[in-house]
Amino acid sequence: MRPLTEPETKVVFDKLANYATDLKTLITPLDDGDRYVFRLNHSRVYYVRLSIANMATSISRDALLSLGTCLGKLTKTGKFRLHITARTTIHLPPLPTPLAFRSNQLTKKNTVPILAEHARHKVWVKENGAQPFLYGSNVVKAHVGRWSEDCPEHSGCVVYSMADVPLGFGVTARSTAEARRLDPTGIVVFRQADCGEYLRDEDTLFAG
Amino acid sequence: MAPTRTVKNKHATNGSGIRNSKSAKNPQTDNVIKAKKNQPNKSHIAATGLKGRPKISDILKKRKQRVYSAKELGIPELNKITPVGVEKPKGKKKGKIFVDDRESMTTILALVTAEKEGQIESKMIKARQMEEIREARRAEAEAKDQERKAKFDETKDQVRKKRKREKGVRDDDVNGFKSAMEEGTRAMKPKGKKKKVSFAAE
Repeated sequence: MRPLTEPETKVVFDKLANYATDLKTLITPLDDGDRYVFRLNHSRVYYVRLSIANMATSISRDALLSLGTCLGKLTKTGKFRLHITARTTIHLPPLPTPLAFRSNQLTKKNTVPILAEHARHKVWVKENGAQPFLYGSNVVKAHVGRWSEDCPEHSGCVVYSMADVPLGFGVTARSTAEARRLDPTGIVVFRQADCGEYLRDEDTLFAG
Repeated sequence: MAPTRTVKNKHATNGSGIRNSKSAKNPQTDNVIKAKKNQPNKSHIAATGLKGRPKISDILKKRKQRVYSAKELGIPELNKITPVGVEKPKGKKKGKIFVDDRESMTTILALVTAEKEGQIESKMIKARQMEEIREARRAEAEAKDQERKAKFDETKDQVRKKRKREKGVRDDDVNGFKSAMEEGTRAMKPKGKKKKVSFAAE
């Protein structure tokens, strides 16, 4: 586990900036003096409290499965791919040694709420469209309940259900004006990641 | 003829150690030797005459031939392969440079955000312009369509009027037709004058 280098940090921020506007809040210090940092382990990028990251240094790299929130992975070509992982703060493989903070550091948080707080563009999906989206398909126009105005094409957007629950994120296929003229089966948003991914790709999400 | 001298004692030359000898008193002055002896004097005079000017040889000695390196000349480097690890950048930290402090992260974030904002802004402007162009095209197409429709209506009206006029002509024709019918052509026999067969009442 190590901090990110400068180009890596840039790539991660670049990706996050596609979806969210105010990223400064991600790294602002907390009230208790702690702050969130980015850590890299097995080419996965984790967003984690500094105190927890410091604690996790006592665990060998091979033994450390996950910590904090896994934001995504850095590919071998140097790109960053966002993941949605409803994983808990520290996950460890079953080790015989008793680890004190294995059970008490559980905080349910994944990438979507982090991005959804400061989403640049939003798309609300009707109930009939939520399930297809969570199963990995793109959002078609017939499923869109509403969308934010003045959204250009090929820009990142966060997908919500009509009850304002963030489901995932994608890239707009058409601008808002163009999408209005689209037929109901036309794709409006290309899926990038969804909450269903956490179950579907469970085997490959943290390894491989 | 050149004056000749007689040497009494050929051993009593200058530097031989024999004193009072003529040759010892008057050192042998050979023409050739004289000339040899005088030459440096002349050059010395000449040198003293050109006082202040450095000698050419001195200049050559002083001017050191400067050796230029390839870097100074700016010669393009050859397309050579430098094995990894042979050339190490001087004054640079070995290995990765991590970004963990808040300041540098904020700097990177500010840079990225500014870049992204610019990109999105340009994209929005582009999209708006495209939308304007599309709107203008649509308006133009609509106007053209309306024009075409109007033209079509006009032609329709014209055709209608024409037909009416033709109808008027045809009315006359109908009169002619009637007259023809009255005349009693076979094809156009009036239906009112149908032949009837009646039987005489008993």
